[in-house]
Order: sequence, then C-alpha cells, then structure tokens
Amino acid sequence: MTFGPAVGNVGMYVAREMLASVPEDQRAAYLSIVEQISELKYQLGVEVARQLPRLLAEHDPALVATYLDQVRAVAALGWKSGVEVAKQLPDLYDAPDPMLASSYVGIVTGATTGHDEEDAGTAELTVELERLERELREMEPKVQRAQELKTLLSARDRRDEKRRKHAVELASVLPPILARLRPRYRPTFLEQVNRVAAADPESALEAADTLLDLLNSERVSPDGAAEWVDRGLDVLDRNKEVGLGYFRLGSKYSLDVLDELREGLALKQVARILKLYATALCGRDVAIRSTQEMYAIEAFGSDHVVLPPDMRFFDDDEANFTAYKVATAHGAGRIEFGTYEFRLADMGDTVDRLVARYGASA
Amino acid sequence: MGVETQRVEDFRLAKEPYYLPLGNEVELFEAAYNSRLPVMLKGPTGCGKTRFVEFMSWRLERTLITVACHEDLTASDLVGKYTLRGDETIWQDGPLTIAVKSGGIAYLDEIVEARKDTTVVIHPLTDDRRILPLEKKGEIVAAPEQFQLVISYNPGYQSVLKDLKHSTKQRFVALDFDYPPPDLEEEILRQESGVDSDVASKLVKIAEKVRNLRTHGLEEGVSTRLLVYAGQLIGAGIEPIAACEATICKPITDDFDMQRSIVEIIATQF
Repeated sequence: MTFGPAVGNVGMYVAREMLASVPEDQRAAYLSIVEQISELKYQLGVEVARQLPRLLAEHDPALVATYLDQVRAVAALGWKSGVEVAKQLPDLYDAPDPMLASSYVGIVTGATTGHDEEDAGTAELTVELERLERELREMEPKVQRAQELKTLLSARDRRDEKRRKHAVELASVLPPILARLRPRYRPTFLEQVNRVAAADPESALEAADTLLDLLNSERVSPDGAAEWVDRGLDVLDRNKEVGLGYFRLGSKYSLDVLDELREGLALKQVARILKLYATALCGRDVAIRSTQEMYAIEAFGSDHVVLPPDMRFFDDDEANFTAYKVATAHGAGRIEFGTYEFRLADMGDTVDRLVARYGASA
Repeated sequence: MGVETQRVEDFRLAKEPYYLPLGNEVELFEAAYNSRLPVMLKGPTGCGKTRFVEFMSWRLERTLITVACHEDLTASDLVGKYTLRGDETIWQDGPLTIAVKSGGIAYLDEIVEARKDTTVVIHPLTDDRRILPLEKKGEIVAAPEQFQLVISYNPGYQSVLKDLKHSTKQRFVALDFDYPPPDLEEEILRQESGVDSDVASKLVKIAEKVRNLRTHGLEEGVSTRLLVYAGQLIGAGIEPIAACEATICKPITDDFDMQRSIVEIIATQF
C-alpha cells in the first residue's frame, strides 16, 4: 500500500511501512528528501525511499548528507548507476574502513563518466540528431503529400494508358463499322461516337457497335440516337462501369430508353400473335422472322414469314398492327398455297395440266 | 328430386333429337346394341357424342340414364347405397342399377374422370356375363337384353394419371368422333342455331382456322357446340364479332396472345 495523497507526489514512492520505520521527528525531512530525489528520476526516488529510513535511524545528519550527495553525483552521470549506488552505499557505510564507500563511488563515477573528448562529441551528435529529427518532423506532411501525388499520377498514367489502348482499338474498328452502316446514317453515327469517345474511348467502342445496329435497323431515328447517347453520357459520368453496360445495351435502363425513343410498333411485341394468326390461317407451324435476321436466311425454311423489325406506316399502333397482319396473311397465303414448294423440274407437268385445263391456245 | 322418386319412363326421350350422321356410326351402334356389346365413344369436347347417344336412345326406344363422371364418383354413387330415411335404413339404387334393371341405356360421360376403382364396377356388365353385382346388398342384377352400356371419353385429356385402363378399354366397341366436315357442320349450325348459310359458312371457316392452333397452345379446338352458341347469339341480335369473341375465343383460352390471334381470325370473316 502506498502512502496517500496527503503526502503529495511522494505517495507514489513511499509505502506506509517505510514511513512507519522513520523516526517520527524526521518523517517530514524524509518525505522532502525523497520528493527531491524523485524529481531527478522516479526509480532513483524509489530506491532512496527504501534505503533512507535505516540511515535516518542512526540520527547522523552528516551521513545522510554524504549519502545524498554521492547518489546525486553518480545519478547525474547515469541514473541507472545512481540507482545501484543508492542501493549498495548504506551497506558500505557499515564497513570498518570508511574509505570503502568513497572508493566505490569513485570507481562507479569514473566508469560511468568515460573520456571528456567523447562526452563533447556525444553532445554535438545529440544536438545534431535533435536538429535532424526536428527537420524530419517538419518534412513529414510534405513526404505524405508527395506520396499522394505519386499515387494520383500513377493512377492517371494507368488510365491514360488504357485510354490510349482503347483509342487504338477504336481507330481499328471504326472503318469496318462505317462500311457496314447505311450511308445516310454515317454523319449521325460519327457525331454520336465522337461525343462518347471524348468521354471514354472504351465506352465509344460499345456505343459504335450498338449504334450500328440501332441505326441500320432503324430502331431509332438520328434524333433518337442523339437522345440515347445523351442519357448514356449522364450514366457514364456517374459510373464508368454502368455507363459501359448502357452503351453495350446491357442495362435495363438502356433498353427502357430505347423503348421510350422507339417510333412505330416493334415486331417483337406482336410476333407471337402474328405467329398464331399465320399458323391458324395456313394450318402449318409458321415462324415469324425479322428482316434483321436475314443473315440467317439459309436457315429459314419455307414456313417462315419475314417482317420488318418495326412498323411505322401509321401513327397509331393499332393501324401498324393491321399492316403487320396484312403482311403476315400474305406470307401465310404463300405458305398455304405452295409458293415456296415450286420446283423448276415440275414446270413440264404444270404446263401439261394447264394445257389440259385451258387448251393449248390459252 | 331423388332418382327413385322419378319414374324410369321419365328418362325416355319423347322427341327426336337433331342428329346428323357423319358416317356409319348409327349402323355400328345398332349392330353393337343388337349384339349386346358395350360401346365407347371417343372424341373431343362438343363434337356430338352426347347428342348421338340421345339420338340412339330415341331411335332404339330405350330410356337414357346419363352419369357425368367426376373424380369423386364412387362405386356406391353408381350402383347404389343404404341410406337413412326417417327411422329406417333403405337401399337406394344408383343410376347404373336403375338403367340395368329397366333395360335402358346407361351413358357414363367422361368416364376417364372417374376413380379407377369405380370403373372396375362396370366390368361384369361389359362381358358376356352382363351382370351387376351389388356387393353391399349381397345381390346380383342380371342385365336384360335391352340394356346397353355406353361410355365416352376424350383422348385429348389422356395423361399418365388420367387414362382408361386397357382392361377397361378392351371391353368396348369404339366409335371415333371428330368435328364434322365443313359442309355438314354448316348444316348442323343452320339446324341448331337457325343462322343462314352465309353466317354458318363463316363460323365454320373460323372454327377450321382456330382448330389449326391445336398443339400450338390450344388444348382443344373450338367445338361444334360453341359454334352453335355463337350462331344462337348472332340469331339473338348480338353483333357477330362480339358473339364469336364470347363463344369461340374466350371459353377456349386465357392466353392473351392466343385470344388476340383468334379475334383477328374472327375479324377476317366478319
């Protein structure tokens, strides 16, 4: 247990038992001495507080003074040596030879002190070290900022590298895309791809592909294409990955915008109804194909009705549906009555039948 | 009114039902009847199976007792059961027993809907024994010569769960029914609904096209019965497209695209 707050700082070093062993009339002096020594070093105060009661018990003020002087002197050179001296000295004072204690202190003092020249060098080094440390502390914010700039520039460099790479790709793919694009849509296409490329060449690659299909298939008008790109650039501005998806037509929003911009009735909306209608009319399973699927024409059988991807003859969808229906009925009629089953080899028989029915002069 | 409170004669058709033979089904049925062979009528809904049985019952001057089979139909429902009447327990004949005892025609409509154990009850009636065991009563009723058992089922509804067992199927003379050829169907429509030839012809053309959609999403094509309904509504002054929509389109499908395509087919005629 330590002595309480009533003795101030000394309470940290002086246990109640220690104070109890000090003669009552010397306790104030004891506490005062311990406090003074503790200010030099905490560990030194603790050791002096332990040893001092036995010296005070001898009621020899000169001995106490000598003890404190010797401890202070050694501690000034090295506090750890001072602590050890404070611990050992009271035993040495009990030795018959009074010179023993002073010789012991002399040896420890010499060992702790070292050479003067070295001390002077050490001091200089210490000063220099302190100065450098101060300068380093002052440099810390600048080092941090430099690191930030390095990271930022590195990221920009990587981005620019990607940008250059995608610009090269764009340069490579644009001519063949332009060759596939209907000439009347080229100015619109170039203008819109240019806008996207300025924002992000990678997105421009996607936009170029998509615009090719949209314009060639007339799913959007030139104004519609500009509006679609406008909305896409807004998305790209907020998030690059989402913007890429938009221009790839891979996002629901992108498709929704297209639907919004669509003019006329899309075949996909009514394809199943038309398929059932044609199947009912001709009594055979009929497939409805868009003209966009013409590239697969060799896969088309005779039971296909090919229709435009959207119908925009009229302003309202009902009338456009009727137009689709008429075209479907026409196609179904060809299927039902065998237009596609005609073979050149059958011509002779056909002529014979016609002659038999209508006469040779017909 | 309970069955036992009706006189058997109440089940005899007093007036000749309209029926236009499509082939030799009348002769076949008569031959089967004379040979005391049970008959199975197969065909899609509304093609005239029930009307044919009614016609034959009138032609043969037999009473006709029809049972519409369903999945909860038990053997007791067919042959009879003990029931409480006041403070006594009495035996009440089922429709099949009544038909057997009276020597009439028992017509089990859509037999495939009945529970499989129920259909087994009719087996002893369909071979040369021609008997109906009433197990609960401990009695066997022998069918008189005039008795005829007729069943119907729609092959279009066949599935693993719902099909007649072969042991049942192979006890019957089978008559196939289908929608009538266009000229006969027109004649039926004129007779049954009173529409003129032009409307009848258009209705039949619509039916022909709609029937092409079987296997393309329609379970069954439009039946002759529905065409008669359409004709009746048109005869009652309903605008033809609306009448056809209500009778031909909406009853046969809930699929919006299918409905729309049928409406377009109707619109090509009216």
